Amino acid sequence: MTTDGAGLLRERELAAALEAQGYFADEGLCTAIHLALRLGRPLLLEGEPGVGKTEVASVLSRVTGLDLIRLQCFEGLDSGQALYEWDYPKQLLQVRVAESRGQDVGDLYREEFLLRRPLLRAVRAEQGAVLLIDEIDRADSEFEAFLLEFLGDFQITIPELGTVRARTPPIVVLTSNRTRELHDALKRRCLYHWIAFPEPDRERAILRMAVPGLAEQAAAGLVGAVRRVRRLPLLKRPGIAESVEWGRGAMALAEGGSPWPVALRRALGLLIKDEEDTRLLLAHADEVFGDAPAHAEDVFGDA
Amino acid sequence: MPPRMPRTCSAMPDPVVLAADHLWGFLTALRGAGLPTAPTKRADLLRTIAETSPPDLTALYWYARITLLQDVSDLPAFDRVFDAWFRQGGPGPADPPLEADDGGARSPGGPGEDDPPPRDARPGDGAEAAALSVHHTRDFGRTGEHRTALMRALEAAWPAVLPAVPSRRRRPARSGDRLDVRHAWRRALRHDGEIIQLRRLARPPRPRRLLILIDVSGSLRQHTPDLLRAAHTALRAAPARTEVFTFGTRLTRITAALARPHADQALRAVSSLVTDADGGTAIGAALECFLGNPRFVALARGALVIVLSDGLERGDHAPMVRATARLSRLGHRLVWWSPLACSPTYRPVTRAMAAQLASLDHLGGVRDLRTALEEVRRLPAVLSGPRHLAARRWSVPRPRGTTR
Repeated sequence: MTTDGAGLLRERELAAALEAQGYFADEGLCTAIHLALRLGRPLLLEGEPGVGKTEVASVLSRVTGLDLIRLQCFEGLDSGQALYEWDYPKQLLQVRVAESRGQDVGDLYREEFLLRRPLLRAVRAEQGAVLLIDEIDRADSEFEAFLLEFLGDFQITIPELGTVRARTPPIVVLTSNRTRELHDALKRRCLYHWIAFPEPDRERAILRMAVPGLAEQAAAGLVGAVRRVRRLPLLKRPGIAESVEWGRGAMALAEGGSPWPVALRRALGLLIKDEEDTRLLLAHADEVFGDAPAHAEDVFGDA
Repeated sequence: MPPRMPRTCSAMPDPVVLAADHLWGFLTALRGAGLPTAPTKRADLLRTIAETSPPDLTALYWYARITLLQDVSDLPAFDRVFDAWFRQGGPGPADPPLEADDGGARSPGGPGEDDPPPRDARPGDGAEAAALSVHHTRDFGRTGEHRTALMRALEAAWPAVLPAVPSRRRRPARSGDRLDVRHAWRRALRHDGEIIQLRRLARPPRPRRLLILIDVSGSLRQHTPDLLRAAHTALRAAPARTEVFTFGTRLTRITAALARPHADQALRAVSSLVTDADGGTAIGAALECFLGNPRFVALARGALVIVLSDGLERGDHAPMVRATARLSRLGHRLVWWSPLACSPTYRPVTRAMAAQLASLDHLGGVRDLRTALEEVRRLPAVLSGPRHLAARRWSVPRPRGTTR
């Protein structure tokens, strides 16, 4: 770990470092990241889509200066795609070359014939790395078994080579959307944190940072509207990503001359992405958009 | 090292020992509250506290929650125990408890206490409809000889009718779309690098999920045991791919209980779990509760969904129609089996049934095992045809406001 690493072990400095990278973490998430770094355990993050689970890994890689290695999970993912695979064509060619030259083939299960997949790359990274195992709930539940050895001891056993152990343990972040329940064996090896929707203050800070030029009052109005939208019985409640997109879209429309409340309504497709939800929202339009500032000068802050 | 505090009284126990005892008590209480914590997780917490003592209670809360908690659905119980041990009924944690992600609170002193059901089939996995709910269990009776024969026939019929999709995992096959390079290489090594035989990989078919939702309300009283038996045969035929829920005034996941090999045992286990049998009906609320849980929604996605219900909804039928429409969108096919539809004079003309007919792929009559067998044999035609044919087949006047 870099010299920053030692500093990150102190909780307050961690929060400041995350914020400097544009990630506003609340106390619970800060404690979770802090403990993951200090205890050297994988961190399992769950939460509604769009609350910034994946972002944690990329911001950690920026803060620590370590490489980000990403493994996107999907149904049918197997060990050959996640851990390692032997490069069979290369091995065959080696046999042919040795044959034509009349040499001994030698050992065919050497490092140079090994294709490193994300987990092995994370174990092999000299300086350590940030490994993101994204949407683990999308992989088959059988796949979790392949992860257990890695998550427990940061090592991978390759029958032909022996056990490969990480010299510097990687920082591991797993995310899940809770579409299925993960095995206890996996959870036992991880620290667990549920990321809830952010409090208004934090969401406002995120919006102000992500949408340059948005005035304080407009940001507050936007956050208020998004919070009221989340309270409706929607199929998919908008996350932070959606509210940022909505703010950006409405901002662009307002710059083009639309009055702010109109711009908000016109940009609604960035916040709600389901026809039924849109209809439900429009039925409650008055209570949701009630306090949006009507004048353009209230919208644009000093950019 | 800080100077040791002089003891005020020699009889007073060491504060460190007291704190350790208190912490140990907390960990034991967690286990008592149904939150078993693995030794490694407890060690994590103790290590954390030993290295940096938490500056305040909130910090301790987060330390404990992040090291010990394993699932967000356990959070309310965890908070209760933490409050009892460290806050003594003080203000709650900084984080508000999550809204209805996993249904409401567990039913107090839920059924099946003596026989703890597996985690998935926790009693009270659903919301309770306030007005109509009654709480009593029911004995579903014994399976007689004539039923056993029908159940055997049903069990044999299911596998052939379940729809399949190509699996993501490739397996060796005579003809496939990909070469098995790994296998070729291993064989070539035995023959001095000569590739003699090529093997191919294909994606074998994998059965889709089967999701069965059974209405256990009073209006289906006489049919409920047979409907459960029919679901039991499906579970036996495709144990890994079948999920079964019951709903009356609440939603209950009964897959694990119903999975016992013997039908009577399975029904007994279910009867101790289902507390709303023969009560009122809140189909819309129960389906909404099902769809409100992302984990349950994942079970319906791409599945063959079979609802066993008469569709007699009290009060407003709009939530039920909406939920059915969403269920239809989520699943591969949505089949509705109603005991009423067995009668030749039946027409789906109740407002609820007429309004949701457009979402259904098939509306069939099932009231016992014999009719269930007939309907199961009719499934392949439903699965191979175009969607949303129920409305055309029953050819009732189109309900106002629908387009299909």
